[in-house]
Amino acid sequence: SISSSAASESDAEELQKEQHARSVLRERFLRCLLAATNKKVRFHMHENVNVEATFRTSDIDVLNFQVSDLHTPIGVQKEALIRCQDVISFTFDM
Amino acid sequence: SSRSSTAPPSERPGERRAAEMKKLYGRDAAKILAMEAAMQLTFDRNCDLKQPKYWPVIPLKL
Amino acid sequence: MQCNWLLSGPLHWFRFVDKQVRVKAGKDEEHLGWLLTVDPVSASVVLLNFREDAALVHVVVGHSVKNVEVLQEPDPEMTERLRSFFLPLTTPILDP
Repeated sequence: SISSSAASESDAEELQKEQHARSVLRERFLRCLLAATNKKVRFHMHENVNVEATFRTSDIDVLNFQVSDLHTPIGVQKEALIRCQDVISFTFDM
Repeated sequence: SSRSSTAPPSERPGERRAAEMKKLYGRDAAKILAMEAAMQLTFDRNCDLKQPKYWPVIPLKL
Repeated sequence: MQCNWLLSGPLHWFRFVDKQVRVKAGKDEEHLGWLLTVDPVSASVVLLNFREDAALVHVVVGHSVKNVEVLQEPDPEMTERLRSFFLPLTTPILDP
């Protein structure tokens, strides 16, 4: 019927809009992570834990941040993984 | 593997991933897939080379 | 408005792009900044704050985001500044 084909057309349009939004958002985010590479990053974590490290990279599912020279309260850990679930936010300068 | 020799060949994981990406990102799928592949490769390679350990050892938030 | 940020979806997140926002996160945190993007995988929010000759980038991870509120629309100059902010200019993206 006409109405159902019109509906499926607008569905397709809606899907394209969503795909476009998703890819713009994702590309901007991936570029942001790439820009953070080798930068000093400050992690603000749960339980009021704040640490600094040199950002290296993240897995694409954003579950883990891989960092170097992590300044923990009890010393420097040369290489570390920080769980995303432990983090509230992180900052760096550009 | 217990798969019998008459079973159809299993789908290649790369193909399934590409199809999923196409559904999510439409015409930009290839670009996003390439960016993600490069980043994941860096992550995997760094983890292999540097053997980073989780900090803190126990998650702060379960 | 207390909605589930993690499940909002790309079209909802996209509405905040390039706008100045207030993000409520964690127990009682607030962050202001220009919203560069929301990662559609983790729902993490990227905020920018510009200083004289630098910018502070603030990433609030998705599971900590409680609420996002628009404070101000961007002018065309700000839109362009945000669009080109992380584009590679001189540094290559990929390792050789």
